[in-house]
Amino acid sequence: MARKLTPYFLLIPAFLIIGLFIYWPAVYSFNLSFHRETPFGTRMIYVGLKNFKRLFSSQVYTDSVKVTIAYVTLSVTITVILSLFLAMLLNQKIPAVRLYRTFIFAPYAISPAIAGTLWTFLLNPVVGHVNYFLMKTFGIQVEWLTTKPYAFYAVVFATVWKMMPFDIIFYLAGLQSIPDELLESARIDGASLWKRITKIIVPLLSPITFYLVIMNTITTMFAAFAIIDVMTKGGPANSTTTMIYRLYLDAFAFQRTGKAAAESVILFLIMAVITIFYFRLVEKRVHYQ
Amino acid sequence: MKRFKWVLVLMFIVLLSTMGIAKVKIQFWHAMGGWRIELLQSMAEEFMKTHPDIEVEVQYTGSYRDTLNKLIAAVRAGNPPHVVQIYDIGTQVMIDGGIAVPMQELIDNDPTFDLGAFMPQVLNYYRVNGKLYSMPFNSSNPILYYNKTLFKEAGLDPDRPPQTFEEVIEMGRKLVKKDAQGNIIQGAITWPFHCWFFEQFMANQNAPLVDNNNGRTGRPTKAIFNSPAGLKIFKFWKQLTDEGLMINTKKEDWTGARQLFLSQKVAMLISSTSDVKLMEMGSKENGFELGTAFLPRPADSESGGVVIGGGSLWIIKGHPKKEVEAAWEFVKWMALPEQQITWHKNTGYFPVRKDAVSRLLFSGYYAEHPDHLTAMMQLLLSKQTYATNGAIIGAFPEIREIVETAIEKMLNGEMTPEEALAWAEKESTKAIQAYNELYE
Repeated sequence: MARKLTPYFLLIPAFLIIGLFIYWPAVYSFNLSFHRETPFGTRMIYVGLKNFKRLFSSQVYTDSVKVTIAYVTLSVTITVILSLFLAMLLNQKIPAVRLYRTFIFAPYAISPAIAGTLWTFLLNPVVGHVNYFLMKTFGIQVEWLTTKPYAFYAVVFATVWKMMPFDIIFYLAGLQSIPDELLESARIDGASLWKRITKIIVPLLSPITFYLVIMNTITTMFAAFAIIDVMTKGGPANSTTTMIYRLYLDAFAFQRTGKAAAESVILFLIMAVITIFYFRLVEKRVHYQ
Repeated sequence: MKRFKWVLVLMFIVLLSTMGIAKVKIQFWHAMGGWRIELLQSMAEEFMKTHPDIEVEVQYTGSYRDTLNKLIAAVRAGNPPHVVQIYDIGTQVMIDGGIAVPMQELIDNDPTFDLGAFMPQVLNYYRVNGKLYSMPFNSSNPILYYNKTLFKEAGLDPDRPPQTFEEVIEMGRKLVKKDAQGNIIQGAITWPFHCWFFEQFMANQNAPLVDNNNGRTGRPTKAIFNSPAGLKIFKFWKQLTDEGLMINTKKEDWTGARQLFLSQKVAMLISSTSDVKLMEMGSKENGFELGTAFLPRPADSESGGVVIGGGSLWIIKGHPKKEVEAAWEFVKWMALPEQQITWHKNTGYFPVRKDAVSRLLFSGYYAEHPDHLTAMMQLLLSKQTYATNGAIIGAFPEIREIVETAIEKMLNGEMTPEEALAWAEKESTKAIQAYNELYE
C-alpha cells in the first residue's frame, strides 16, 4: 500500500507548484473575464460575455489581431527560411566554422529588452548606424521607429534577428544527423544542389521545421513583448500593437482587469488550437526518418 | 564564570536599549529613477538622523506606471507600503480606490502644519472636492528650451524666442537645415511624443479636456477636447511634421528628445521644467548658449496657463496608528522648505511652497539661474481656472494612449486633423464611460 502511494507522494511538490502558479491563476483569469473590477479590487461586477463582445466590436482590438497575424506570419516565415539557409552554410566544412557559429548564436544569449535597446540605437533616425549607412550609400533617410510601415518592419527585423539562433541550433543538429551517404549518392546520381535541398534535406528536416514553426509562433505571439515595448511601445498608430501588447496595456497601464482577462482567455484558446493542431495533425503527417 | 556574567549583563543592556528605542519602521516607494534614487535615499537618511525613532525604508519601484501596479498588487495582498509616490493622473484612481488616508485629515489634526504656505497653483491641482488627498511633492511644467547659438546662426534674435504657434513655424523655417537631397540635417523643434503636451497646449488656451469643468465639479462623463483649441494643436503638430520642421520621437521618449536638443540636432525643445538642471549642464558641455521661454500658444487663442505635472505622496491605509503617524512625520518633513530646496536644486522640479521660493529668491538663486526663473514665472503667471488646474479623470492613462494614437494616425496620413481629433474624443468618451460604470 505504502509503496503504491509513494509516487503520488513524490509528485505532490510538483503539483503544488503547478497548481499554485499555473492552474489557480488560469482559473482566476477565466473567472475574471466574466467580470469587471475596480483597479484596487474593491468591487467586482458580473458582466457575462460583455467583455468579449466589447473586444470584438472594438476596432482597436481587431486591429491588434490583424497586426499579430501579420507579425507572426512574417517573422516566423523569414526566421525559418533564413535559419535553414544559415544552418546549411554553418554546416560546411570550412575553417573557423565554430567561430562563426558562436557569433551567430550570440543574439540568443541577449535578453529581449537589450536586443530592443540595441536596435533602437541602430535605427535612430539621426545618430543610428543603419541610417548613416543608408544615407551614405543611397542618400535616403528613414524614420524607422516613428513612421508606418517602417516601425513594423523594424520590429519584425529585430524579432527575426533575436529568434534565428534558436532555429539555427536545431537545424544544425538536424543537418548533422542526415547521413552523408544519402547526399553523396544523390550527388553521384546527378542531383543538383537545389534538388538535393528540396528533395532530401527539407523533407528530412520537416519534423524540426514543424517544431520550430510552433515554437516560433508561441514566441512571437506571447513572448515578443519586450522588443515591442522597448522599440516602439506599440506605435506608431498601433501598427506594432500586437494582442499581447494590447493585453499589457489594458492590464497594467489602464487597470482594465476584466477586459485584460478576456484577452488572455482569447490567447489561451488560440494556444489550445495550436497545440491540438500540433499533436493531432502534424505529428502524424510529418516525415520521420 | 565571571566572563559569562558580563556577557549576560551585556545582553541585558542590548535588550533594554532595543526596547527603549523600538523604532517605527515605514516603507516609502517612489518612481524617481537615475541619480534621484540616491538623492531620495540620502534625504531619508537625513530624516532618520533627526527622527531617531523612525526608520524609513526607501524603495525605487520603477516608473510611475510600475509603482501604481506594485501598489495595487501590494494592497490586494494586504501588504501595502506606508508612503507611496503616485503620478498626477493616478489621483482619481487612488481616490476611488479608497485605500489612502486623506492627507486633509492628517493636516486638520496637526496644528503645526500650515497649508497656507503651499503654492496655490499646486494645491489647486491636487485638491479634489475641496480636499487634499495627497501631499504635493514633485511638480513640473513644460517650457520651451532653445539654442541661442543656433538662433544667432540662423539670423534670428537670440533674445526673442517664439511665443506663438505661428512664430514657431516662421522661425522654424529659418532654423531648419537640409542637404542637397532634401534630407534634414538639423530640425527646428522637437518634444517627447506624449499626450502631456497636448494637455498643456489645451490648458495654455484655457480649454478643458472633459466636461463637468474638467472633472473638477463632478465625475466627468465625456471628453470635450474636439474644440477649436484642440484642432489648432493637431494642425500645428501636423504642419510642423509635414514641413519637416519637427522631429517626432518615439512614444514617451523623453531621453530621445533631450538628446536631439543637446546634440544640437534641433534648435528648440519643449520638455519638462524638471530638466532645467540637466539642460544647463548639457548646454555647457556641448558648447551652446541655452535660452528658455514660456510654452507657445496660437496667437488668436485665449490665454490660459500651464498645468502642474509630476507626482504626490500618498499615505496608505491599513497600518497601525503609530506607523501612520510616523508616515505623516516623514511626509510633512519632505514638504518642509529645506527639503523642497534640496529637491529643487538637485532635480529641477520646483518647490511646492511659497517660503521655499522666497528663500531661493532672496539668496540670489534666480539671478544666477534665469532658466529656473522662467519655469517659476510661467507657473505664477498662469491664470487659475478649471482648465489650468488640470483635468481629473479616472481613465486618464487610457485617454493619453488614445490621443497619442490619434496624433500618430494623423501624422502618418491615415486621418485628417479633424478626423483624428473627433476619433480621439469619441474613444476617450468610451473610456470615461467604461470607467464610470464601475462606480455607478
